[in-house]
Amino acid sequence: MISQAAKESFERIVFQAARTRLTMNPAHACEVERAAGHEPVGRGTSAQVHVLTIVSIGFRIVLMLQFADDEATRSYYAGQTANRALPEAALEIGNLCCGAINQQLVEHFPDLGMSTPYTLSSDCMGYLDELDPVHLAAYDVTIEAAARLRVTLCVCASEPIDFAAQVADVHESAGELELF
Amino acid sequence: MAKILVVDDSSTVRDEVAGFLRKNGLDVDTAIDGKDGLAKMKTSPGVRLIVSDVNMPNMDGLTMVEKIRGELSNSAVNVIMLTTESSPAMKERGKAAGVKGWIVKPFKGEAVLETFRKLAG
Repeated sequence: MISQAAKESFERIVFQAARTRLTMNPAHACEVERAAGHEPVGRGTSAQVHVLTIVSIGFRIVLMLQFADDEATRSYYAGQTANRALPEAALEIGNLCCGAINQQLVEHFPDLGMSTPYTLSSDCMGYLDELDPVHLAAYDVTIEAAARLRVTLCVCASEPIDFAAQVADVHESAGELELF
Repeated sequence: MAKILVVDDSSTVRDEVAGFLRKNGLDVDTAIDGKDGLAKMKTSPGVRLIVSDVNMPNMDGLTMVEKIRGELSNSAVNVIMLTTESSPAMKERGKAAGVKGWIVKPFKGEAVLETFRKLAG
């Protein structure tokens, strides 16, 4: 149902989106590593998972972000702007990350639609297999050797998926005004 | 003073965009979704520029613009979409509704400030 090229493409796209959208400053160091499973990050993980979906005619992508519930992560994402709570900041960070994935995918699948971000209990992570995904991958992200989160990508398909994405620099046009 | 209406369901984005524009001397009001934005357009005739997200609960940004043009018969207000969406189909729908421009998030205020001033003037 999903080709190896498509799996590798999804991985390249997620890596790129994580590095460009999960950092608060493009100059910040961002390490992305493939995780062994899709269980929570570990002790200190938030009880919530922030979820977005990208839907096309042939497949549905569920992107889940679990932020570590520790001071370093809170300080990195929420501490830099006027006492924002981490869950509130996490929703918009997730939205930007999913948007970057969507931007890359729309080059191959022009019929995509994206959800607004929503929050679920992280207990849901134990039931992802119930969605019968054709591709399930998790990545541990560490920023500035301090802030941590896990990004999980779950792809469910109703028809074969085969594409090869060469990741473009999503920073190129983001933030620029395109006048009609 | 001409007013700008910032419409986004994310308080983070509302604070960021409205805060930046206010800091630069512009008069800004905010709305939490398309439904709220439409309601504010009914009672705030001074709005000259709307900066709106696309994906929002209750009413999305493009539907809001279509209703402003249709139900409110307001063809004068300028509209810029500020969104993570970049699909050609979405942009085409925006163009058809009379959207003036499109920005893919994240918001980079300095890059658009002067254009916003002109559109709000």
